[in-house]
Amino acid sequence: MNRSKSSKRIAILYGSETGNAQDFAAILSYKLHRLHLPHTLNSLGDYTPHDILDCRNLFIICSTTGQGELPRNAIEASHGLNKKNTLWSFLKKRNLPADFLNHLSVSFLGLGDSSYPKFNYAIRKLHNRIVSQLGAKELFHRLEADEQSMAGSNKGSGASIEAVYFEYEKRILKYLRETYPTRKVNGQIVERTEFAAEAYLEPPSCLLLDSDEDGHIVQENLTFNGDDSVNVGTVKINDRLTHPEHFQDVRQFVFNGKKAHEYGPGDTISIYPCNSDDSVKQFLEIQPHWKSVADKPLKLSHGIPNNLKDGGFVKPLTLRNLLKYHCDIMSIPRTSFFMKVWTFATDVGRMERGREQLEQQREKLHQFATDEDMQDLFDYCNRPRRSLLEVLQDFPSLKLPWEFALDYLPIIKPRLFSISSGPNDPNIELTIAIVRYKTILRRIRKGICTNFIINLSPGDKFRYKVQNNNLFLNKELKEKPMILISPGVGIAPMMSLIRSDVSKNLKLFFGNRMMERDFLYKEILQDWDKEERITLYTCFSRDPKNSPKFKYVQDILWSIGEFIAKLIHDQGATIYVCGSSNKMPIQVRITILEILKKWVNFEDEDAAIRYMKDMEKDDRYLQETW
Amino acid sequence: MTDNKLGLILLHPAMTNKPEDVTKAVEEAAQDGVQMVNQYLINKVNDGSVKLDADKYDVIHYLTPESPDSIKFPSKLVPVLYSALKAGGSVYGLSDVLKLDALLNGFSIVNDGQYHWEKKSQTQAAVSIPLKTSTNNKNKLPSFKRAVKNPINIVQFEDDLDDDDEVNNSDKAKFFTDYNNDEDSIEEEDLVREDLDQAGITMITCGKSKTRRKKACKDCSCGLKEEEEQEIDQVRKKQDAVVKFTDDELTEIDFTVEGKKVGGCGSCSLGDAFRCSGCPYLGLPAFKPGQQVNLNSILDDL
Repeated sequence: MNRSKSSKRIAILYGSETGNAQDFAAILSYKLHRLHLPHTLNSLGDYTPHDILDCRNLFIICSTTGQGELPRNAIEASHGLNKKNTLWSFLKKRNLPADFLNHLSVSFLGLGDSSYPKFNYAIRKLHNRIVSQLGAKELFHRLEADEQSMAGSNKGSGASIEAVYFEYEKRILKYLRETYPTRKVNGQIVERTEFAAEAYLEPPSCLLLDSDEDGHIVQENLTFNGDDSVNVGTVKINDRLTHPEHFQDVRQFVFNGKKAHEYGPGDTISIYPCNSDDSVKQFLEIQPHWKSVADKPLKLSHGIPNNLKDGGFVKPLTLRNLLKYHCDIMSIPRTSFFMKVWTFATDVGRMERGREQLEQQREKLHQFATDEDMQDLFDYCNRPRRSLLEVLQDFPSLKLPWEFALDYLPIIKPRLFSISSGPNDPNIELTIAIVRYKTILRRIRKGICTNFIINLSPGDKFRYKVQNNNLFLNKELKEKPMILISPGVGIAPMMSLIRSDVSKNLKLFFGNRMMERDFLYKEILQDWDKEERITLYTCFSRDPKNSPKFKYVQDILWSIGEFIAKLIHDQGATIYVCGSSNKMPIQVRITILEILKKWVNFEDEDAAIRYMKDMEKDDRYLQETW
Repeated sequence: MTDNKLGLILLHPAMTNKPEDVTKAVEEAAQDGVQMVNQYLINKVNDGSVKLDADKYDVIHYLTPESPDSIKFPSKLVPVLYSALKAGGSVYGLSDVLKLDALLNGFSIVNDGQYHWEKKSQTQAAVSIPLKTSTNNKNKLPSFKRAVKNPINIVQFEDDLDDDDEVNNSDKAKFFTDYNNDEDSIEEEDLVREDLDQAGITMITCGKSKTRRKKACKDCSCGLKEEEEQEIDQVRKKQDAVVKFTDDELTEIDFTVEGKKVGGCGSCSLGDAFRCSGCPYLGLPAFKPGQQVNLNSILDDL
């Protein structure tokens, strides 16, 4: 690639759950580009492990999952068949010598939330392996941001995670300016200076009209190419499980693929959603200069960017198809979006009050792009969950060049769902909660994926992948009890587990709000209970009539604590917790620990804590929360 | 009319909305004995679709709505202007924002009465400083080539760190050969043992204080969620007070009706990004004051 040359010498790698770490990485990348510093920007999972030998400066920004693990995009590749061939799996190889990374300067930024017990564990794991064990040189002590400002680098300072990021950025830029004070241009050495603030950095690959195609309107069948692991599914059932008047719409969603898949309980499906035709139309209305080219054949000047390979890249390539299948125009725009597009606020022709209003819009967009506080952006976009499309509608001065659309528009990512059907059943069943929010914006906020799913009818087709997580392969489990704890939609993987033959002795703890409203799979669960296929324990948090004694699943567990302790300690039970993240998994864990302390004869409390930790290490305490 | 001087008008794209200004410039030039013989959009010149003849003009006038100190003019065009002018010719309408480019390309800056640049009569070669952003030689443009069909400054960069400091890592390459061997990996849990983690972390010493950033958890039980919902309801009540929602998808926003308050910022019509926190229009799309507005985007919820 001869333009916007990427370099292996500097790499910015991220592991991201919600997209925060990814966006900070994008901001850092942008700042490096402004200094003409070529570098690689990638998720940890998509980075080519061998490239670490050519790397000299490595910057890692990584969040931590609720269970203290590295995020999924840090431990597996986004596309292709060999997803586990990652940098992290390689670096964990035991036979690597202690000087393996001594050619590397690194610095780390962890994003965490100290209300979770395993605060910033992911960055600590990375740090300890890469620095303490493999000999990389740390440029400065790592930074650990805390969402709560109660721990880490911003402990008690009241400073936000953005403040921690900008400190990290400041230190990196200072180091790089000192290390690379000059740059080489056509063989000549020049001083390294930033390019003009208003300038737009041309991305490595741009969209162009495909002149070979004569500019005719494209009408060929849609295909998605370049990712061998993606499949096409056909919807069979898409029915509501909750009472029609209940606030939450939970779907039983059944589909099948062209070929059968091997899968088991605990495995997941990722679904690739797309935007509605109406959203695409609205986007074109607000960028009218796109309309005349919307259906013309395009090509990419330098190939398909890496971040567009997951799930396959759409063909025929047109702006309309890109907007529908790849560009996440209904997402909440992040800082990096404003950084890239503010300079395109140039269309004075659409300003009621002319130049003055143009300047006003330009200045506001610039502020969103550069404000280190990010408070105004948060209030404007995140709080009301305002979509990128709505931002464009508010800022008609933005006249976006379609040639660079794939650089500045965020890319649609797949969403993951647990499988509910039994092992290898060709009719794959998911249990999906439809996401809707009420904010100050009158239009109801809908998750892009669940909105996509609401509108699917039997016979419709969509793209998906299967993830095999290999959770319950151990044959010894069969003779031992399993304690399944799954309030709400957490029931999804439990359905699969019950339908398998993993264990003959299943205790299911299910809870929701109201028995008559959101008791998911009520009939089938009650039948299984009668047939003694499972023992069912239920509770309903807002339904004292039907659940007088217990509100939450942990209440039932505690009430039969002695029995639970026997199952765990004497009979070697495995515990599997599924459902919403936040408090439930934490409270369940505390309850189980207290049960062990109270009803098992450990010599002291530490022994109970060690027992619990061993359970986690030996995969006897499993958790899948989201 | 043989003694008429020849002039060229270059237009910022935004000037197409102000034909009267262009006409005025032509007339004023005529009074000074300059006949404006050509008129081009600057982006056409910039992208090469219009080529300027060399040594043709006595005067080039750049018309832009930008204020003199915020002019964004592609500096690569400065030498193009220079070559299009006859010796002794002048450029009007640019400013000291481009002073360096002007000087480097052989212009002198004249500031008596009407600011302009002059192409020196005795043609001097442009000072050649190779590492600056503008020279006559296109191939020497160091860091940035300018826009393709766009007034925006599009930058490409060139640099090649990969040339530097070759470290021979070939001895390490062998570890990549026998890969994918799961049994041979360390336990992740061992990496978070307390005793390994003595290196410490960087503390930040200052930072803006965190204010209203809290967001309720999905299963909020601390009351924050109720607070948020109350806030939403309050905002909606305000909206209902200023906006009439009717069946035919049209709704009226009217500042003049009594009891319909406007926010203190006076930016009510501009959209949420510009509204103050107490604005009754918060949450509604941008609109034109006093006009009937089709708010179909909010109908979902009615």
